[in-house]
Amino acid sequence: MIGEWIRFIIAAVLLLFGLFVEVRAILGVYRMNYVMNRMQVAAMGDTMGLMCILVGLMILSGFTIMTAKMIMILLFFWLASPVSSHMIAEIEIVTNPKADQEFEVTKP
Amino acid sequence: MEILNSAREFLLGFVMVVMAIILILALIRAIIGPRFTDRIVAINMIGTEVIIIICVLAYLIGEQYLVDVALVYAMISFLAVVVMVNLYLTVYREKTLKSKEEAEILSHEHGIEVGREEYERRQKASMKAEGKEGTQ
Repeated sequence: MIGEWIRFIIAAVLLLFGLFVEVRAILGVYRMNYVMNRMQVAAMGDTMGLMCILVGLMILSGFTIMTAKMIMILLFFWLASPVSSHMIAEIEIVTNPKADQEFEVTKP
Repeated sequence: MEILNSAREFLLGFVMVVMAIILILALIRAIIGPRFTDRIVAINMIGTEVIIIICVLAYLIGEQYLVDVALVYAMISFLAVVVMVNLYLTVYREKTLKSKEEAEILSHEHGIEVGREEYERRQKASMKAEGKEGTQ
C-alpha cells in the first residue's frame, strides 16, 4: 500500500516537472524575436519535456508492453529531432533576406 | 485506494488540459509568425504535444494499443518537415540560380548555395566592414 503511494508521488513529481518545462518552452517561443532563437527554445521542450512526461508514465504503468513502446517513441524522437532542427536552420540561412542583422554566418 | 485512484485521474486530466491549451497557443503562433520557418517550428511543437496527449490518454483509458498511433505520428511529422524543406530549397535554387556552373562556383566560394543577388549583397556588406576596419 505504501509502495503504491511512493510510486504515485515519484510519477507525479516527474509529470509536473515535464509540464513546467513545456509551459516554459511555449512562453519562450512567444518572447523571442528571431527564428533561430525560437528554434532553440522549442528544442528544449522537445527533448526534456517529452522525456520527463514519458518516464513518469512509464513508472505509473510498470513492466508492461506499453513501457517498451514508450521507450521506442523516446529513442526515435531523440534521433529525429536534431536532424529536423538542422534542416530548418539551413533553409533559414539560405533564404532570409535580412540575414546579417539577425545572426552571423561564418565562412567555413 | 479510492483516494489514490481519484488523485491519479485528477493529475492526468490536469496534464491533458494544460497540454491542450499549449497546443492552441502553438497554433496561434503558426498563424501569426511572419516567416515560413516560424510556422515549421510551430508545427514541430504541435507534433510533440500531440504525442504527449495520446500517451496520457492511452494510460487513462486503459487501452494499450493507442501508443502505436503516437509512434506513427512521430515518424510522419519528421518526414513532413524533411520533405517540405527539401522541396522549398530545390524550387528556390532553380528560380534564382541561372546555370549549373554558377551554382558550383557560388557553392565553392561561399560554402552553401545562395541566390545571385543575395551573394552580391553579402559581398558588399563584408567589403564595407573590411573597409571600415582598415581605415580604423
